[in-house]
Amino acid sequence: MTFFAQFQIWLGAFLVLALFSFLYKDNPFYKLAEHVYAGLSAGYYVGLVWQSVIIQQLVDPMFDDGQWWLIFPGLLGTLMFARFFAKWSWVSRISLAFVMGNTAGVFLISQLHGLILPQTMSTMLSLNPKNGFAATLLALVTVVGVISTLIYFYFSKEHIGVLGGTARVGIWFIMISFGAHFGYTVMARISLLIGQVQFLLFDWGGSIKQIF
Amino acid sequence: MSFWEKVSNIDRRWIYFLVAVSVVFPMLVVIKFPIGITPEAKQLYDAVEALPDSSIVFLTFDYYPSTLAETEPISIAALNQMFRKNMKIITMTTVPLGGPSIAERVTRKLANKYNKVYGIDFVNLGYKANYVAVLKGMGSSIESIYPADNAGTPLKDLPLMSKVRNYNDVKFIFVVADNGIVDYWISIVNAQYGTPVGAGVTAVMAPKMYSFVEAKQLTGLLGGMKGAAEYERLVNHEGTATRGMDAQSMVHLLIIFFVIVGNIGYFATRKSGRSGQV
Repeated sequence: MTFFAQFQIWLGAFLVLALFSFLYKDNPFYKLAEHVYAGLSAGYYVGLVWQSVIIQQLVDPMFDDGQWWLIFPGLLGTLMFARFFAKWSWVSRISLAFVMGNTAGVFLISQLHGLILPQTMSTMLSLNPKNGFAATLLALVTVVGVISTLIYFYFSKEHIGVLGGTARVGIWFIMISFGAHFGYTVMARISLLIGQVQFLLFDWGGSIKQIF
Repeated sequence: MSFWEKVSNIDRRWIYFLVAVSVVFPMLVVIKFPIGITPEAKQLYDAVEALPDSSIVFLTFDYYPSTLAETEPISIAALNQMFRKNMKIITMTTVPLGGPSIAERVTRKLANKYNKVYGIDFVNLGYKANYVAVLKGMGSSIESIYPADNAGTPLKDLPLMSKVRNYNDVKFIFVVADNGIVDYWISIVNAQYGTPVGAGVTAVMAPKMYSFVEAKQLTGLLGGMKGAAEYERLVNHEGTATRGMDAQSMVHLLIIFFVIVGNIGYFATRKSGRSGQV
Protein backbone atom coordinates (compact mmCIF):
# COMPACT_ATOMS: atom_id res chain seq x y z
CA MET A 1 0.00 0.00 0.00
CA THR A 2 1.38 3.41 -0.98
CA PHE A 3 2.04 6.15 1.55
CA PHE A 4 -0.80 8.21 0.05
CA ALA A 5 -3.29 5.31 0.37
CA GLN A 6 -2.21 4.83 4.01
CA PHE A 7 -2.62 8.54 4.66
CA GLN A 8 -6.14 8.49 3.18
CA ILE A 9 -7.16 5.61 5.44
CA TRP A 10 -5.70 7.22 8.58
CA LEU A 11 -7.33 10.56 7.79
CA GLY A 12 -10.65 8.80 7.19
CA ALA A 13 -10.34 6.84 10.43
CA PHE A 14 -9.55 10.02 12.38
CA LEU A 15 -12.61 11.79 10.96
CA VAL A 16 -14.90 8.79 11.63
CA LEU A 17 -13.71 8.52 15.24
CA ALA A 18 -13.99 12.29 15.68
CA LEU A 19 -17.62 12.16 14.52
CA PHE A 20 -18.41 9.11 16.68
CA SER A 21 -16.96 10.93 19.71
CA PHE A 22 -20.14 13.04 19.76
CA LEU A 23 -21.96 9.97 21.11
CA TYR A 24 -20.04 10.46 24.35
CA LYS A 25 -20.37 14.24 24.38
CA ASP A 26 -19.81 17.31 22.22
CA ASN A 27 -16.09 18.10 21.79
CA PRO A 28 -13.64 20.05 19.53
CA PHE A 29 -12.73 16.98 17.43
CA TYR A 30 -16.38 16.52 16.48
CA LYS A 31 -16.69 20.20 15.62
CA LEU A 32 -13.54 20.02 13.48
CA ALA A 33 -14.81 16.99 11.52
CA GLU A 34 -18.21 18.59 11.06
CA HIS A 35 -16.73 21.81 9.67
CA VAL A 36 -14.30 19.96 7.40
CA TYR A 37 -17.23 17.99 5.95
CA ALA A 38 -19.36 21.09 5.37
CA GLY A 39 -16.49 23.06 3.79
CA LEU A 40 -15.30 20.24 1.56
CA SER A 41 -18.81 19.46 0.30
CA ALA A 42 -19.46 23.10 -0.59
CA GLY A 43 -16.09 23.50 -2.33
CA TYR A 44 -16.42 20.26 -4.27
CA TYR A 45 -19.96 21.12 -5.36
CA VAL A 46 -19.00 24.58 -6.60
CA GLY A 47 -16.09 23.16 -8.63
CA LEU A 48 -18.22 20.39 -10.09
CA VAL A 49 -21.10 22.67 -11.11
CA TRP A 50 -18.66 25.19 -12.61
CA GLN A 51 -17.13 22.47 -14.78
CA SER A 52 -20.22 20.41 -15.64
CA VAL A 53 -22.70 23.26 -16.12
CA ILE A 54 -20.96 26.56 -16.86
CA ILE A 55 -18.05 25.20 -18.89
CA GLN A 56 -19.48 22.03 -20.49
CA GLN A 57 -23.06 23.16 -21.10
CA LEU A 58 -22.60 26.89 -21.74
CA VAL A 59 -19.09 28.13 -22.51
CA ASP A 60 -17.80 25.21 -24.63
CA PRO A 61 -20.93 24.81 -26.83
CA MET A 62 -21.10 28.58 -27.39
CA PHE A 63 -17.48 29.21 -28.30
CA ASP A 64 -16.42 25.83 -29.73
CA ASP A 65 -19.62 24.67 -31.47
CA GLY A 66 -21.13 28.07 -32.29
CA GLN A 67 -24.35 27.45 -30.39
CA TRP A 68 -24.84 31.21 -29.82
CA TRP A 69 -28.49 30.86 -28.76
CA LEU A 70 -27.30 29.46 -25.42
CA ILE A 71 -26.69 33.10 -24.50
CA PHE A 72 -30.42 33.32 -23.61
CA PRO A 73 -30.51 30.59 -20.92
CA GLY A 74 -27.13 31.96 -19.79
CA LEU A 75 -28.67 35.41 -19.34
CA LEU A 76 -31.68 33.95 -17.53
CA GLY A 77 -29.30 32.23 -15.14
CA THR A 78 -27.36 35.45 -14.59
CA LEU A 79 -30.57 37.30 -13.72
CA MET A 80 -30.92 35.05 -10.66
CA PHE A 81 -28.00 36.94 -9.08
CA ALA A 82 -30.16 40.07 -9.00
CA ARG A 83 -31.66 38.64 -5.79
CA PHE A 84 -28.56 39.87 -3.97
CA PHE A 85 -29.53 43.51 -4.71
CA ALA A 86 -32.73 44.72 -3.07
CA LYS A 87 -33.44 47.31 -5.77
CA TRP A 88 -33.11 44.84 -8.63
CA SER A 89 -34.27 41.62 -7.00
CA TRP A 90 -37.57 41.69 -8.94
CA VAL A 91 -35.60 40.94 -12.13
CA SER A 92 -34.85 37.43 -10.86
CA ARG A 93 -38.58 36.66 -11.01
CA ILE A 94 -38.29 36.46 -14.81
CA SER A 95 -35.94 33.49 -14.48
CA LEU A 96 -38.04 31.99 -11.69
CA ALA A 97 -41.18 32.27 -13.82
CA PHE A 98 -39.42 30.41 -16.62
CA VAL A 99 -38.25 27.68 -14.23
CA MET A 100 -41.70 27.33 -12.65
CA GLY A 101 -43.50 27.13 -15.98
CA ASN A 102 -41.02 24.66 -17.37
CA THR A 103 -41.09 22.50 -14.23
CA ALA A 104 -44.89 22.50 -14.08
CA GLY A 105 -45.10 21.38 -17.70
CA VAL A 106 -42.58 18.57 -17.30
CA PHE A 107 -43.92 17.35 -13.96
CA LEU A 108 -47.58 17.48 -14.94
CA ILE A 109 -47.05 14.79 -17.54
CA SER A 110 -44.54 12.70 -15.59
CA GLN A 111 -46.54 12.72 -12.35
CA LEU A 112 -49.86 12.01 -14.02
CA HIS A 113 -48.73 9.54 -16.63
CA GLY A 114 -45.88 7.99 -14.66
CA LEU A 115 -47.13 7.92 -11.09
CA ILE A 116 -50.79 8.75 -10.42
CA LEU A 117 -52.44 6.72 -13.19
CA PRO A 118 -50.33 3.53 -12.91
CA GLN A 119 -50.48 3.60 -9.10
CA THR A 120 -54.25 4.08 -9.13
CA MET A 121 -54.68 1.33 -11.71
CA SER A 122 -52.66 -1.08 -9.58
CA THR A 123 -55.18 -0.68 -6.73
CA MET A 124 -58.14 -1.60 -8.95
CA LEU A 125 -57.95 -5.32 -8.36
CA SER A 126 -60.38 -8.09 -9.08
CA LEU A 127 -62.06 -9.57 -6.00
CA ASN A 128 -63.26 -12.59 -7.93
CA PRO A 129 -62.78 -15.69 -5.70
CA LYS A 130 -61.95 -17.72 -8.82
CA ASN A 131 -58.46 -16.12 -8.69
CA GLY A 132 -57.64 -18.23 -5.65
CA PHE A 133 -57.98 -17.59 -1.92
CA ALA A 134 -54.57 -15.92 -1.38
CA ALA A 135 -54.87 -13.59 -4.39
CA THR A 136 -58.42 -12.58 -3.43
CA LEU A 137 -57.41 -11.96 0.18
CA LEU A 138 -54.44 -9.79 -0.86
CA ALA A 139 -56.62 -7.88 -3.32
CA LEU A 140 -59.20 -7.33 -0.58
CA VAL A 141 -56.55 -6.04 1.85
CA THR A 142 -55.25 -3.64 -0.82
CA VAL A 143 -58.71 -2.35 -1.75
CA VAL A 144 -59.81 -1.93 1.89
CA GLY A 145 -56.45 -0.33 2.77
CA VAL A 146 -56.59 2.21 -0.05
CA ILE A 147 -60.23 3.20 0.52
CA SER A 148 -60.00 3.42 4.34
CA THR A 149 -56.73 5.41 4.21
CA LEU A 150 -58.21 7.84 1.67
CA ILE A 151 -61.25 8.27 3.91
CA TYR A 152 -58.97 9.03 6.88
CA PHE A 153 -57.59 11.97 4.88
CA TYR A 154 -61.09 13.17 3.92
CA PHE A 155 -61.67 16.13 6.24
CA SER A 156 -64.80 17.71 4.74
CA LYS A 157 -67.14 15.71 6.99
CA GLU A 158 -66.86 14.82 10.67
CA HIS A 159 -65.41 11.36 11.27
CA ILE A 160 -68.42 9.76 12.96
CA GLY A 161 -70.59 6.76 12.12
CA VAL A 162 -69.57 4.67 9.08
CA LEU A 163 -67.09 7.36 7.99
CA GLY A 164 -65.45 7.37 11.45
CA GLY A 165 -65.28 3.56 11.59
CA THR A 166 -63.68 3.37 8.14
CA ALA A 167 -61.23 6.15 9.06
CA ARG A 168 -60.20 4.14 12.15
CA VAL A 169 -59.47 1.15 9.90
CA GLY A 170 -57.41 3.56 7.78
CA ILE A 171 -55.39 4.54 10.88
CA TRP A 172 -54.48 0.88 11.38
CA PHE A 173 -53.20 0.64 7.82
CA ILE A 174 -51.22 3.85 8.28
CA MET A 175 -49.74 2.56 11.56
CA ILE A 176 -48.67 -0.71 9.92
CA SER A 177 -47.07 1.34 7.14
CA PHE A 178 -45.23 3.49 9.71
CA GLY A 179 -44.02 0.30 11.42
CA ALA A 180 -42.60 -1.02 8.14
CA HIS A 181 -40.92 2.33 7.48
CA PHE A 182 -39.49 2.42 11.00
CA GLY A 183 -38.12 -1.12 10.70
CA TYR A 184 -36.46 -0.33 7.39
CA THR A 185 -35.09 2.97 8.76
CA VAL A 186 -33.49 1.13 11.71
CA MET A 187 -31.92 -1.29 9.22
CA ALA A 188 -30.62 1.62 7.12
CA ARG A 189 -29.03 3.43 10.05
CA ILE A 190 -27.44 0.25 11.39
CA SER A 191 -26.09 -0.47 7.89
CA LEU A 192 -24.32 2.88 7.90
CA LEU A 193 -22.77 2.06 11.27
CA ILE A 194 -21.73 -1.37 9.98
CA GLY A 195 -20.07 0.25 6.96
CA GLN A 196 -17.97 2.54 9.15
CA VAL A 197 -17.09 -0.25 11.60
CA GLN A 198 -16.01 -2.43 8.65
CA PHE A 199 -13.81 0.45 7.49
CA LEU A 200 -12.27 0.88 10.96
CA LEU A 201 -11.77 -2.83 11.62
CA PHE A 202 -10.59 -4.05 8.25
CA ASP A 203 -9.16 -1.06 6.34
CA TRP A 204 -7.70 0.92 9.23
CA GLY A 205 -6.95 -2.24 11.21
CA GLY A 206 -5.15 -3.67 8.16
CA SER A 207 -3.16 -0.49 7.81
CA ILE A 208 -2.15 -0.55 11.48
CA LYS A 209 -1.06 -4.18 11.11
CA GLN A 210 1.00 -3.30 8.03
CA ILE A 211 2.78 -0.41 9.72
CA PHE A 212 3.49 -2.10 13.05
CA MET B 1 -35.91 4.11 42.91
CA SER B 2 -37.24 0.73 41.68
CA PHE B 3 -35.42 -1.52 39.21
CA TRP B 4 -37.67 -0.51 36.30
CA GLU B 5 -37.27 3.17 37.10
CA LYS B 6 -33.49 2.71 36.99
CA VAL B 7 -33.83 0.90 33.64
CA SER B 8 -36.05 3.67 32.25
CA ASN B 9 -33.48 6.31 33.22
CA ILE B 10 -30.37 4.43 32.05
CA ASP B 11 -27.62 6.61 30.52
CA ARG B 12 -28.11 6.37 26.75
CA ARG B 13 -24.35 5.85 26.30
CA TRP B 14 -24.80 2.31 27.67
CA ILE B 15 -27.16 1.65 24.78
CA TYR B 16 -24.60 3.01 22.30
CA PHE B 17 -22.00 0.75 23.90
CA LEU B 18 -24.20 -2.35 23.59
CA VAL B 19 -25.00 -1.50 19.94
CA ALA B 20 -21.26 -1.10 19.25
CA VAL B 21 -20.52 -4.49 20.84
CA SER B 22 -23.33 -6.10 18.80
CA VAL B 23 -21.82 -4.70 15.59
CA VAL B 24 -18.16 -5.49 16.31
CA PHE B 25 -18.59 -8.98 17.80
CA PRO B 26 -20.10 -10.69 14.68
CA MET B 27 -17.36 -9.17 12.54
CA LEU B 28 -14.69 -10.84 14.64
CA VAL B 29 -16.60 -14.10 15.19
CA VAL B 30 -18.48 -15.19 12.04
CA ILE B 31 -21.99 -16.47 12.90
CA LYS B 32 -23.57 -16.75 9.41
CA PHE B 33 -27.24 -16.01 10.03
CA PRO B 34 -29.34 -17.33 7.12
CA ILE B 35 -30.10 -14.87 4.28
CA GLY B 36 -33.38 -15.62 2.49
CA ILE B 37 -34.02 -14.46 -1.07
CA THR B 38 -37.10 -12.27 -1.53
CA PRO B 39 -39.21 -12.58 -4.72
CA GLU B 40 -38.36 -8.96 -5.63
CA ALA B 41 -34.60 -9.64 -5.57
CA LYS B 42 -35.07 -12.82 -7.61
CA GLN B 43 -37.22 -10.90 -10.10
CA LEU B 44 -34.45 -8.34 -10.63
CA TYR B 45 -31.79 -11.02 -10.98
CA ASP B 46 -33.92 -12.99 -13.45
CA ALA B 47 -34.68 -9.87 -15.50
CA VAL B 48 -30.96 -9.13 -15.99
CA GLU B 49 -30.17 -12.81 -16.51
CA ALA B 50 -32.86 -13.06 -19.20
CA LEU B 51 -31.27 -10.32 -21.32
CA PRO B 52 -29.25 -11.55 -24.29
CA ASP B 53 -25.48 -11.54 -23.81
CA SER B 54 -23.80 -8.31 -24.96
CA SER B 55 -26.97 -6.29 -24.35
CA ILE B 56 -26.44 -2.61 -23.68
CA VAL B 57 -27.53 -1.69 -20.15
CA PHE B 58 -27.47 1.38 -17.92
CA LEU B 59 -26.14 1.14 -14.38
CA THR B 60 -26.61 4.28 -12.33
CA PHE B 61 -24.61 5.36 -9.30
CA ASP B 62 -27.20 7.73 -7.88
CA TYR B 63 -25.87 7.72 -4.34
CA TYR B 64 -23.73 9.74 -1.96
CA PRO B 65 -20.68 8.37 -0.14
CA SER B 66 -22.62 8.42 3.15
CA THR B 67 -24.72 5.42 2.06
CA LEU B 68 -21.90 3.36 0.53
CA ALA B 69 -22.43 0.51 3.01
CA GLU B 70 -25.87 -0.17 1.56
CA THR B 71 -25.50 0.82 -2.07
CA GLU B 72 -21.96 -0.02 -3.19
CA PRO B 73 -22.38 -3.80 -2.63
CA ILE B 74 -25.44 -3.66 -4.93
CA SER B 75 -23.39 -1.94 -7.66
CA ILE B 76 -20.56 -4.46 -7.27
CA ALA B 77 -22.91 -7.45 -7.41
CA ALA B 78 -24.71 -6.01 -10.45
CA LEU B 79 -21.40 -5.36 -12.25
CA ASN B 80 -20.30 -8.93 -11.54
CA GLN B 81 -23.46 -10.26 -13.12
CA MET B 82 -23.34 -7.89 -16.10
CA PHE B 83 -19.65 -8.31 -16.92
CA ARG B 84 -20.02 -12.08 -16.57
CA LYS B 85 -22.73 -11.91 -19.25
CA ASN B 86 -20.47 -9.70 -21.43
CA MET B 87 -22.98 -6.89 -21.29
CA LYS B 88 -22.04 -3.43 -22.47
CA ILE B 89 -22.42 -1.16 -19.50
CA ILE B 90 -23.04 2.58 -19.48
CA THR B 91 -22.67 4.11 -16.02
CA MET B 92 -23.85 7.55 -15.00
CA THR B 93 -24.94 9.52 -11.96
CA THR B 94 -27.30 12.32 -11.06
CA VAL B 95 -25.50 12.84 -7.75
CA PRO B 96 -22.67 15.36 -7.75
CA LEU B 97 -20.93 14.50 -4.48
CA GLY B 98 -19.11 11.23 -4.92
CA GLY B 99 -21.26 9.70 -7.67
CA PRO B 100 -18.86 10.15 -10.63
CA SER B 101 -15.76 9.01 -8.73
CA ILE B 102 -17.52 6.05 -7.08
CA ALA B 103 -18.71 4.90 -10.52
CA GLU B 104 -15.18 5.25 -11.88
CA ARG B 105 -13.50 3.42 -8.99
CA VAL B 106 -15.97 0.52 -8.71
CA THR B 107 -16.42 -0.07 -12.45
CA ARG B 108 -12.67 0.05 -13.26
CA LYS B 109 -11.92 -2.43 -10.46
CA LEU B 110 -14.50 -4.94 -11.71
CA ALA B 111 -13.54 -4.31 -15.36
CA ASN B 112 -9.94 -5.30 -14.60
CA LYS B 113 -11.18 -8.53 -13.01
CA TYR B 114 -13.12 -9.45 -16.18
CA ASN B 115 -10.58 -8.00 -18.66
CA LYS B 116 -13.02 -5.44 -20.02
CA VAL B 117 -11.89 -2.47 -22.08
CA TYR B 118 -13.03 1.09 -21.49
CA GLY B 119 -14.94 2.54 -24.42
CA ILE B 120 -15.75 -0.90 -25.85
CA ASP B 121 -17.26 -2.80 -22.92
CA PHE B 122 -18.13 0.04 -20.57
CA VAL B 123 -18.37 3.81 -20.46
CA ASN B 124 -18.73 6.20 -17.54
CA LEU B 125 -20.79 9.23 -18.56
CA GLY B 126 -20.31 10.89 -15.18
CA TYR B 127 -22.49 13.63 -13.73
CA LYS B 128 -24.72 16.27 -15.26
CA ALA B 129 -26.73 18.80 -13.29
CA ASN B 130 -30.55 19.03 -13.44
CA TYR B 131 -31.60 15.39 -13.38
CA VAL B 132 -35.07 15.97 -14.84
CA ALA B 133 -33.60 17.58 -17.97
CA VAL B 134 -30.93 14.85 -18.12
CA LEU B 135 -33.41 11.96 -17.90
CA LYS B 136 -35.81 13.57 -20.36
CA GLY B 137 -33.10 14.69 -22.78
CA MET B 138 -31.50 11.26 -23.03
CA GLY B 139 -34.79 10.01 -24.47
CA SER B 140 -33.99 12.02 -27.61
CA SER B 141 -30.22 11.87 -27.66
CA ILE B 142 -27.71 10.81 -25.03
CA GLU B 143 -24.98 12.73 -26.85
CA SER B 144 -26.93 15.98 -26.62
CA ILE B 145 -26.87 15.66 -22.82
CA TYR B 146 -23.43 14.09 -22.47
CA PRO B 147 -21.25 15.35 -25.34
CA ALA B 148 -18.28 13.81 -23.51
CA ASP B 149 -17.73 11.09 -20.91
CA ASN B 150 -16.57 11.60 -17.33
CA ALA B 151 -12.95 12.06 -18.42
CA GLY B 152 -13.86 14.55 -21.18
CA THR B 153 -13.48 12.14 -24.12
CA PRO B 154 -16.07 12.99 -26.81
CA LEU B 155 -18.71 10.24 -27.08
CA LYS B 156 -18.09 9.93 -30.82
CA ASP B 157 -14.58 8.65 -29.99
CA LEU B 158 -15.96 5.79 -27.85
CA PRO B 159 -16.94 2.69 -29.94
CA LEU B 160 -19.65 1.58 -27.49
CA MET B 161 -21.45 4.91 -27.71
CA SER B 162 -21.66 4.71 -31.51
CA LYS B 163 -24.24 1.93 -30.97
CA VAL B 164 -26.32 3.96 -28.53
CA ARG B 165 -28.42 6.95 -29.50
CA ASN B 166 -31.14 7.02 -26.85
CA TYR B 167 -33.18 4.77 -24.53
CA ASN B 168 -34.39 2.71 -27.50
CA ASP B 169 -30.92 1.15 -27.67
CA VAL B 170 -30.80 0.35 -23.95
CA LYS B 171 -32.26 -3.00 -22.87
CA PHE B 172 -32.40 -2.42 -19.12
CA ILE B 173 -31.76 0.31 -16.57
CA PHE B 174 -30.41 -0.80 -13.19
CA VAL B 175 -30.79 2.13 -10.82
CA VAL B 176 -28.79 2.10 -7.59
CA ALA B 177 -29.90 5.07 -5.52
CA ASP B 178 -30.21 6.59 -2.08
CA ASN B 179 -32.62 9.39 -2.99
CA GLY B 180 -35.86 10.21 -4.78
CA ILE B 181 -34.31 9.96 -8.25
CA VAL B 182 -35.84 6.47 -8.63
CA ASP B 183 -39.26 8.11 -8.91
CA TYR B 184 -38.04 10.00 -11.98
CA TRP B 185 -36.44 6.98 -13.60
CA ILE B 186 -39.89 5.39 -13.25
CA SER B 187 -42.13 8.33 -14.10
CA ILE B 188 -40.03 9.76 -16.93
CA VAL B 189 -37.97 6.94 -18.42
CA ASN B 190 -40.04 3.82 -17.77
CA ALA B 191 -43.45 5.44 -18.22
CA GLN B 192 -42.63 7.60 -21.23
CA TYR B 193 -40.01 5.53 -23.07
CA GLY B 194 -40.90 2.00 -21.91
CA THR B 195 -37.38 0.96 -20.93
CA PRO B 196 -37.51 -1.59 -18.06
CA VAL B 197 -36.14 -0.23 -14.78
CA GLY B 198 -34.93 -2.27 -11.80
CA ALA B 199 -33.75 -0.70 -8.57
CA GLY B 200 -31.41 -1.24 -5.64
CA VAL B 201 -32.15 1.35 -2.97
CA THR B 202 -31.36 2.18 0.63
CA ALA B 203 -33.56 0.56 3.26
CA VAL B 204 -35.18 3.90 4.12
CA MET B 205 -36.55 4.12 0.58
CA ALA B 206 -37.53 0.47 0.15
CA PRO B 207 -41.08 0.48 1.61
CA LYS B 208 -42.20 3.14 -0.84
CA MET B 209 -40.70 1.23 -3.78
CA TYR B 210 -42.83 -1.89 -3.20
CA SER B 211 -45.85 -0.10 -4.66
CA PHE B 212 -43.89 0.41 -7.90
CA VAL B 213 -43.05 -3.28 -8.01
CA GLU B 214 -46.72 -4.16 -7.46
CA ALA B 215 -47.70 -1.79 -10.26
CA LYS B 216 -45.07 -3.44 -12.51
CA GLN B 217 -43.31 -0.09 -12.94
CA LEU B 218 -40.19 -1.55 -11.36
CA THR B 219 -38.75 -4.86 -12.49
CA GLY B 220 -37.41 -6.09 -9.17
CA LEU B 221 -36.17 -4.37 -6.05
CA LEU B 222 -33.28 -4.64 -3.61
CA GLY B 223 -33.80 -2.94 -0.25
CA GLY B 224 -30.74 -1.84 1.72
CA MET B 225 -27.96 -4.08 2.98
CA LYS B 226 -30.31 -7.07 3.13
CA GLY B 227 -31.18 -6.61 -0.56
CA ALA B 228 -27.49 -6.23 -1.38
CA ALA B 229 -26.69 -9.45 0.50
CA GLU B 230 -29.46 -11.25 -1.39
CA TYR B 231 -28.05 -10.09 -4.73
CA GLU B 232 -24.53 -11.08 -3.70
CA ARG B 233 -25.90 -14.53 -2.98
CA LEU B 234 -27.74 -14.69 -6.29
CA VAL B 235 -24.66 -13.71 -8.33
CA ASN B 236 -22.52 -15.98 -6.15
CA HIS B 237 -20.20 -13.21 -4.95
CA GLU B 238 -19.80 -12.85 -1.20
CA GLY B 239 -19.11 -9.20 -0.44
CA THR B 240 -19.36 -6.65 2.35
CA ALA B 241 -23.17 -6.84 2.51
CA THR B 242 -23.17 -10.58 3.23
CA ARG B 243 -20.48 -10.10 5.87
CA GLY B 244 -22.38 -7.17 7.38
CA MET B 245 -25.67 -9.08 7.74
CA ASP B 246 -24.50 -10.94 10.86
CA ALA B 247 -23.98 -7.61 12.62
CA GLN B 248 -27.29 -6.38 11.23
CA SER B 249 -29.16 -9.37 12.66
CA MET B 250 -27.40 -9.04 16.04
CA VAL B 251 -28.35 -5.38 16.36
CA HIS B 252 -31.93 -6.15 15.34
CA LEU B 253 -32.15 -8.74 18.13
CA LEU B 254 -30.73 -6.16 20.55
CA ILE B 255 -33.26 -3.54 19.43
CA ILE B 256 -36.14 -6.02 19.83
CA PHE B 257 -34.82 -6.66 23.35
CA PHE B 258 -34.70 -2.89 24.03
CA VAL B 259 -38.27 -2.45 22.73
CA ILE B 260 -39.56 -5.25 25.01
CA VAL B 261 -37.63 -3.98 28.07
CA GLY B 262 -38.66 -0.39 27.32
CA ASN B 263 -42.34 -1.34 27.14
CA ILE B 264 -42.23 -3.43 30.32
CA GLY B 265 -40.43 -0.55 32.05
CA TYR B 266 -43.01 1.93 30.79
CA PHE B 267 -45.99 -0.07 32.04
CA ALA B 268 -44.29 -0.99 35.34
CA THR B 269 -43.37 2.62 36.18
CA ARG B 270 -46.78 3.89 35.01
CA LYS B 271 -48.48 1.47 37.42
CA SER B 272 -46.22 2.47 40.34
CA GLY B 273 -46.73 6.14 39.42
CA ARG B 274 -50.50 5.67 39.68
CA SER B 275 -50.29 3.81 43.01
CA GLY B 276 -48.00 6.56 44.29
CA GLN B 277 -50.62 9.19 43.42
CA VAL B 278 -53.33 7.24 45.25
